[in-house]
Amino acid sequence: MLHAVPVAATAIPAAITVACRECGATLEFAPELRTARCPYCASTSIVERPPSRDRPRPTFVVGFVLDKEHAEDALRRWTRSRWFAHSGYARAAIDAMRGVYVPTYLYGAVAHAAWSASIGEDYTETETYTTTENGHSVTHTRTVTKTEWRDLSGEHACYLTDVVVTASRGVPNEELEAIEPFDLRALRRYDPAMLSGWIAEEPSRTLEECIAFAHDEAVRGIDEMLGRFMPGDSHRDLRFVPRLENQVVDLLLLPLWSFAVRYAPGKPPVRVLVNGQTGKAHGKVPRSFWKITGTIALGLGLLALLAWSLGLFSG
Amino acid sequence: MTDDFSRCSRCETPLETGDLRCAICGQAAPARAPVVRDVAVRLLRCGGCGAAVEYDPAVQAPRCAFCGEVLRVEAIEDPPERIEFFLPFTADADAARAGLGGWFRSLGFFHPRNLASQARLQALQPLWWVAWVFDAQADITWTADSNLGAGRSDWAPHAGRTPLLYDNILVSASRGLTLAETSTLSGTYDLATAGPRPSGAESATVEQFDVQRSLARRRIVEAIDGIATAQVAGRFCPGTKHRNVHVAVLLRALTTRRVAFPAWVMAYRYRDRPYRAVVSGQDAACIRADAPLSWARIAAVGLAAATALGGILAAILHSL
Repeated sequence: MLHAVPVAATAIPAAITVACRECGATLEFAPELRTARCPYCASTSIVERPPSRDRPRPTFVVGFVLDKEHAEDALRRWTRSRWFAHSGYARAAIDAMRGVYVPTYLYGAVAHAAWSASIGEDYTETETYTTTENGHSVTHTRTVTKTEWRDLSGEHACYLTDVVVTASRGVPNEELEAIEPFDLRALRRYDPAMLSGWIAEEPSRTLEECIAFAHDEAVRGIDEMLGRFMPGDSHRDLRFVPRLENQVVDLLLLPLWSFAVRYAPGKPPVRVLVNGQTGKAHGKVPRSFWKITGTIALGLGLLALLAWSLGLFSG
Repeated sequence: MTDDFSRCSRCETPLETGDLRCAICGQAAPARAPVVRDVAVRLLRCGGCGAAVEYDPAVQAPRCAFCGEVLRVEAIEDPPERIEFFLPFTADADAARAGLGGWFRSLGFFHPRNLASQARLQALQPLWWVAWVFDAQADITWTADSNLGAGRSDWAPHAGRTPLLYDNILVSASRGLTLAETSTLSGTYDLATAGPRPSGAESATVEQFDVQRSLARRRIVEAIDGIATAQVAGRFCPGTKHRNVHVAVLLRALTTRRVAFPAWVMAYRYRDRPYRAVVSGQDAACIRADAPLSWARIAAVGLAAATALGGILAAILHSL
C-alpha cells in the first residue's frame, strides 16, 4: 500500500503566466517550480497545482537554517578542506548561488526478511607441535582458536523509517546522500508560507523511480541490520529475501544551497551542494595533478630515506 | 490517555497533540490538507501590516520584514512529560510503620534480633513517584547462542519468532527511588484506582518526569527492547546458558500512560547508622529496605561450619 499519493492521472503542467499580486507585472511560473519571484517588485508568489501521482502535494518541509552568509562560510570551509583539489579551488569565485527547496520522498515500510547464514562459534583446542632446538627435536603444546560453522535461518521484522530519496532530476540520489543527514526533528507540516521568498522545485522524477531508490536504500539498511543481528562469534554467506510491506511515501521539501564555483579561467564552473540545515557540503572537486604527484614523490622519498637509514644502522 | 486524538493508521499507536509522525513507525499524522482542484497562485501577506511575508532562516519561520510578525507553522511539539493519573494512598502512615515493624520481625537469623525494638524511625515521608505504564503488541524476531545443541564449541546458534502482548508494564522515571525499589513496589498497585488528582496524603512530595516527550518515548522503546531480550534469554531460547541475544521488536498499538504511584519513604537508625526503607502506598506489607547484618551471628555460624568441617576431616583422616 502506498500512502499519501493521489491517484489522478499524471500530466506535466504547462508554464503559467499570471499578473503579480503585488505590482501587476507579468509573472511566469516554470512547470518545474512551485514559486516565482517578480522581477520588478521582488515579491514571491507560490503556485498550488492540483496534485497528481508523480507530483503530490508536499506533506512536510524542513526550513532553511543557514542564510546566504552562513552557506558561503560552509562552502569556504569545505573548499579549504579539499587537500588534493586544484590550487585555484581555495580562492574560487562563486559564479552563482541559490537556496532551493528540493523535492524528496520520505519513505518508510515494515521490513521483513527471511535470512540464512553460516554462523561461526569459536572454540579452543590444545595441540602439540614439534620444533628443533639445539639439534634436538622438542615437543610443545599450544592453544589454538578454531571455528565451528553451523547453518542457521530465521526471520527479522522491524519498521524502516527516515529513508530520504531525491525526487529531483537536478539532484542525483548519490549527491543527496552525500549531504545527508537532515535532522527530521525539525520537520514542519507543509505550509506554502515556508517557501515564501525561496525557490521551490516540483518533483521531476516519477514516483516509481523514487521508490526504486528507496528500495535500494531499504535493502542496504536491512543488510546492515542483519549483520548486527547474527549470533555467534562471526558469520558468513548471509543471504536474505526482503519483503517490504505497508510502504508509505510522503513528499518532503529539503533546504539546499546550490553553488556554481569557478576555480580557473576557461574551466567550466563546478557545482557544490550545501545542506541548508547542517552546512554539510559536497561537490565534484577537480584534482590537482601536481599536488597528487608531489605527494606520491614525497612519500616515495621518505620511504627511500627510511630504507637507507635502516641499511646504514644494520650495516 | 489524555492527549490522544487519533491512532496511527499503520501501527495503531495513539498520536498525541504535536505529533506530525507516528513515533513508532514514522507514518505521517493525518492532516486536513486543502483540496486543490485548479491552479491557484498565492502571495503571502502579513496579517498585521499587509506586507509580503518571507521565510527567515534566523527565526526558522515565515516573518514579515516590515513589522517583524512571525507566522506559526505546524511543527513537531516536544513538551515535558506531565503526570496524567495518580494512584491514591490506601495505606496510611500507621500502616506503613506497622509494615516496617513486621518486616523487621520477618528478617532472618543473620540480622540483629533486637532490630525491631532498637530501630528508631526518624522520617516518614509520603511520595508519589512517577513511571510510564504501557500496553503493546510486539512481534519479536530473535537470535542467540545457547548451550543447547553445542558441539565442539560451548555454543550453538538459535533463531526464532514470537508474538507477545505487553499489558500494564511499568517503566520507572523516578529519580528518588532506585530501580530495585520501584521493581519491588510495582506489583502492589491497583491501576484501576487511578484518578486525575492526588488523594490520600496531603503533604506528599510529587515527583516530576523531568524529560521531554521524545526522550520518554525513546526510554520506553529501550525498555521494551530490554524486556524482550530478557524474555528471549529466559523463556524462548532453548538451553540453560545464553549469550549474544539479539532482538528485533515490531511494535503495534503502543499506548503509554504517565502515572504517579504512592509510596512511603522512611529513614530509621540502628546503633547510630541510618538506613532507608520504602513501603508501597497501597500495600504496607510490601517493603524494600536496607537492614543491618549481625556480624557476630555470621561469625558464629562461620566458626561452627569450620569446626564441623574440621571435625569431619579429622574423622576421615583418623579412619584411614
